[in-house]
Amino acid sequence: MSQLLQIENFTLGFPGRPPLLDSVSLHVNDGEAVALVGESGSGKSLTTRAALGLFPGGSESSGLVSVQGLDTLTASKQRLMELRRRHASMIFQDPRAGINPVRTVGDFLTETLLRFDGLSRSEATERAVKQLEQVGLRRAKELMDQHPHQLSGGMLQRVMIAAALLNSPDLLLCDEPTTALDVTTQAGIVNILREEQQARGMGMLFITHDLNLAASLCERVYVLRRGEVVEHGPTRTVFLTPEQDYTRQLVEATPVIESGAASASPAAPGPDSAVAPLLKVSGLSKTYQLPRGEIITALDAADFSLPEGGSLGIVGESGSGKSTLARLVVALETATSGELTLRDVPRPRRPLNASERKTLAKDVQIVFQDPYLSLDPRIPVGNAVADVFRLHQKQGRKEAKDSARNLLGRVGIGAERIDALPRALSGGQRQRVALAKALAARPRLLVLDEATSALDVSVQAQVLELVEELRDQLGLTILFVTHDLAVVSRLCSEVLVMHQGRIVEQGPTARILEDPGDDYTRNLIASRPRPLWDAEPVTA
Amino acid sequence: MTATDHVQAPAPAPGAPSRRREKGQAARPAMYIAKKVLALVVTLFVASLAVFFSRFLVPGDPARFLLRGRSPKPEALEEITRQFGLDKPAWEQYLNWLGGILQGDWGRSLTYRQDVSDVLLGRLPTTLQLVALAAVFITVLGLFAGIVASLNKGFGDRFILITLTAAGAVPPFVAAIALVALFSVGLGWFPSFGSGDGGWDRIWHLTLPALALGITYIAMVARVTRSSMNEQLLREHVEVATSRGLTRGSVVARHVLRNAMGPILTVSGVLVAGLLVSSAIIERTFGLSGIGQLLVQSIDRLDFGVVQAIVMVVVAAFVLVNTVVDLVQPLIDPRIAAGTESR
Repeated sequence: MSQLLQIENFTLGFPGRPPLLDSVSLHVNDGEAVALVGESGSGKSLTTRAALGLFPGGSESSGLVSVQGLDTLTASKQRLMELRRRHASMIFQDPRAGINPVRTVGDFLTETLLRFDGLSRSEATERAVKQLEQVGLRRAKELMDQHPHQLSGGMLQRVMIAAALLNSPDLLLCDEPTTALDVTTQAGIVNILREEQQARGMGMLFITHDLNLAASLCERVYVLRRGEVVEHGPTRTVFLTPEQDYTRQLVEATPVIESGAASASPAAPGPDSAVAPLLKVSGLSKTYQLPRGEIITALDAADFSLPEGGSLGIVGESGSGKSTLARLVVALETATSGELTLRDVPRPRRPLNASERKTLAKDVQIVFQDPYLSLDPRIPVGNAVADVFRLHQKQGRKEAKDSARNLLGRVGIGAERIDALPRALSGGQRQRVALAKALAARPRLLVLDEATSALDVSVQAQVLELVEELRDQLGLTILFVTHDLAVVSRLCSEVLVMHQGRIVEQGPTARILEDPGDDYTRNLIASRPRPLWDAEPVTA
Repeated sequence: MTATDHVQAPAPAPGAPSRRREKGQAARPAMYIAKKVLALVVTLFVASLAVFFSRFLVPGDPARFLLRGRSPKPEALEEITRQFGLDKPAWEQYLNWLGGILQGDWGRSLTYRQDVSDVLLGRLPTTLQLVALAAVFITVLGLFAGIVASLNKGFGDRFILITLTAAGAVPPFVAAIALVALFSVGLGWFPSFGSGDGGWDRIWHLTLPALALGITYIAMVARVTRSSMNEQLLREHVEVATSRGLTRGSVVARHVLRNAMGPILTVSGVLVAGLLVSSAIIERTFGLSGIGQLLVQSIDRLDFGVVQAIVMVVVAAFVLVNTVVDLVQPLIDPRIAAGTESR
C-alpha cells in the first residue's frame, strides 16, 4: 500500500474531559494533495501535529497515526526525530511567530543541515540559498544574514516553506500557511506550494478554514467538525454536492463575489440623491513622523462622500491605510490635512474634547476586528450595552437594562446570557455584543473595521446577515473596512479600493468587480483562490 | 508591508526600500552606543552632586570630630577647618573635589590621615573579589536552578520553587551563620574567618562569604530564569524547531534559553551591581576588610572623604554594569537595535 499518511480511529483528549478528536480516520497517498477543512476548535491542528508525534502535554490518545509505516503514537524519540528530519515537514500558520526572532534567517535554514546532514557551513549555506531562490526569493544570499523582523510576512512564509523543503520530505503538512497573509501574497504562496508539491511528487495535507483555498489546491478533502470527520471525498463532489448539513452550511457560508447582488438591494439609494451626504471627505491625509525623521504617509488625499443610508466598502491590504481612514472618521486619529464633514459639521483638526466626543459618538460608532479584545472582560455584556443607553439616551438604570435586553435579543443574544462575562461567550456572540453596543447609541453611521475577519466562516455569515438586516431596518449608513472583496460585494453598494495610502479606484461595487479600471484592483480580484475544476489553474 | 510586493515584482523595484533600510541600520548602533555612554556620564555627574552635597545634610562638624571631644582652642579648630578646605563655599569645595577625582585624587581621609585613594585601594580588591565570586555563584546556580525548574514541570518545579522562596527569605547574616555552622564548624571544609593569601587560598576563604552574600540573589535569578523560559517554551518557534527534528537539548539551548536571556541579563546586572552595597554585613561577619565595612566605619566617624569616595565607586559600578547590560541587549535581541521590538 502506498499510503503515506494513515490515520485510523485516532482519538485524543485529556483525562476526564470529552475527547478533542474522536475516531478520526484519514489518509494521504504518495503525491496527493489533501485538504483538512474545519472551523476553529475542530481539531485540525491537533490531527496534523500528531503526524509528527507532537502531542499536547498530558493528553491521552489511542488509534493509529502512521507515516510511512511508523506509528507516531508508539515510536521512540529517536525514530520520531528521524521522521521529522527526513520524511515529514510542517509549515506553520504564522511565520512571524514560527521563526525565532533573535536568530538570522540563515541560521534557521541551516541548523538542521549542519546538525544532522553532516554538511559543512558553506555547503549548508549554498543549499539554503538555492532553496530560497527556488521558492521565489531574490537576493537570497543577503537574506541569509537578515533577521526575521527585517522581512515581510510573505517573504517569511517563503523562508518557512524553503526550510520545510530543504530535507526533501515525502510528506508536507501545512497548517493554515496563508491565513496571516494578504490575498495577493496568499496567491503567490499557494502557487509555490502547488508547484513544489507537483514537481516533487510530495504528499500534502493542507489545513484551512477557507473552502475556496482548499478547492484551489487539493484533490480530496476531509471536513472536520468538533473532532470528528463528518464528510470526505473528492473536493469537487464535496463542495458542489455536499451530503452533510454541516458541509452544506460551510459551503453556503463561504463568501463568494456576487456581482449584482448588492446593487440590487433596495436599501441603497443611488449616488444621484440630492440630499447632502452624511459623510464627506476631501483631501484627507494622515502622516506619521518616525523618530528618525522619516515621514510615513498612511493616508494620501482621500476624497469621497457617503450619502445617508448608503453602504461603502473600503478594500485594501494591510498597510493600505484603510484602518487609518476608519479611525479618522470616528476621530480616534486627527488628520494632518484635508476636510472631513459629518452631517454638515466640519471636524476640527485637533483631538476632540470630552463633550465633542460624546456628541460625535451619538452619530458614529465603530465595531473593531477582534471581539476578544474590544470588550471589557470584567463587565457583564448586559451592563456593557446598558451603559451605552444610560450615557447616550439618558435612560435610568432599570430602563437601560430593559433596552439592553431588547437590543441584545434583536442581535440574537438571549436574555439568559445578559449577565454573562464576555469570556463565557463564543467569538460570534461577542461580536454581536460589540455590534449591539455600537447600535445602542443609535448612530447614523456604523463603521465596521474588519469586523468579521477574526471569525469563522459560518459565524461571519451570521454576523454579515445581521448587519444587512439592521441596515435595512434601521436605515443605517455603513462604512465597512475589509480585505475581503467577497464580503464587500455582499454588503456594500459602493466600494473604494485602497493601495499604499491612496484611493486607486471607487464606484459602484458591481461595476468595479466586473470591470476593474485599475491594475491593482484587477490583481486583487485575480488573487482570490479559484477551484481546481474551475477554468485554468491559477497562474501568477 | 511594502516588501510583500517586491517578492513577485521584477528586478529593479526591491532595491530601493531595502537599501535605505540597511543604511539606517549601519548608522544606528553608533548612535545607540553614543546615547548610552552620554546617559552614563550624565548619571555619574548627577550622582556626584547628590553624593557631595548630601554631606551638608548630616549633622556634626567633621573638624570637631577629629579632635575627639577635646575642647579645642578656636584657632586650632580654624586651622584644621582651613587645612581640609572646609571654610570655602560649598560650590568651591565641590569643584575642588570633582577636579581632584578626575585627576585621581580623592582627598584626604580625616581618620586615617592618608590619601583616600590609598585607604580605598587597600580594601577594594577584597570586596571586588568577594562580589565577583558571588556573581559567579549567582549566575551559575541561579541559571541552573531556573532551567531545571522550567524543564521539569510538576514535582521538580514545585520543589525548586519552594526551596527558592525559602532561600530568598533568608537574610544574609543568618545565611552566613548557618553556612559557618555547617561548613566550617561542623564539617571543617571552609575557613570561617579572614580573606586568605591570594590565588586558590583566597577563593577558598571567600567561598562561604560569597555564598552567604549571593543566596537571596540566586533565588531571584532562578525565578526570573524560570519564568522567562516558561514564557519562551510556549512560543510557536519552539514548536517549529521541535517539528524539524532538533534534539531537546538543541531546542532548549538555541531557541528557549537564548531568547530568554534578555530579562535574565537585566535582572542579573542590577543585582550584581547592588552586591557592592550589601557586602558590608558579610564582610563584618567573616572578618574581611573590604569597602563595605570601611563605609560603615567612615559614616560613623564622619570621615566624609572616604564615604564620598566609596559611594561614588558604588554608584559608578552600578551605572557601568547597567550600561554594559544595555549595550549587550541588542546583540541578544536584534529587534531592540532596530527599535521595532514586538513579538
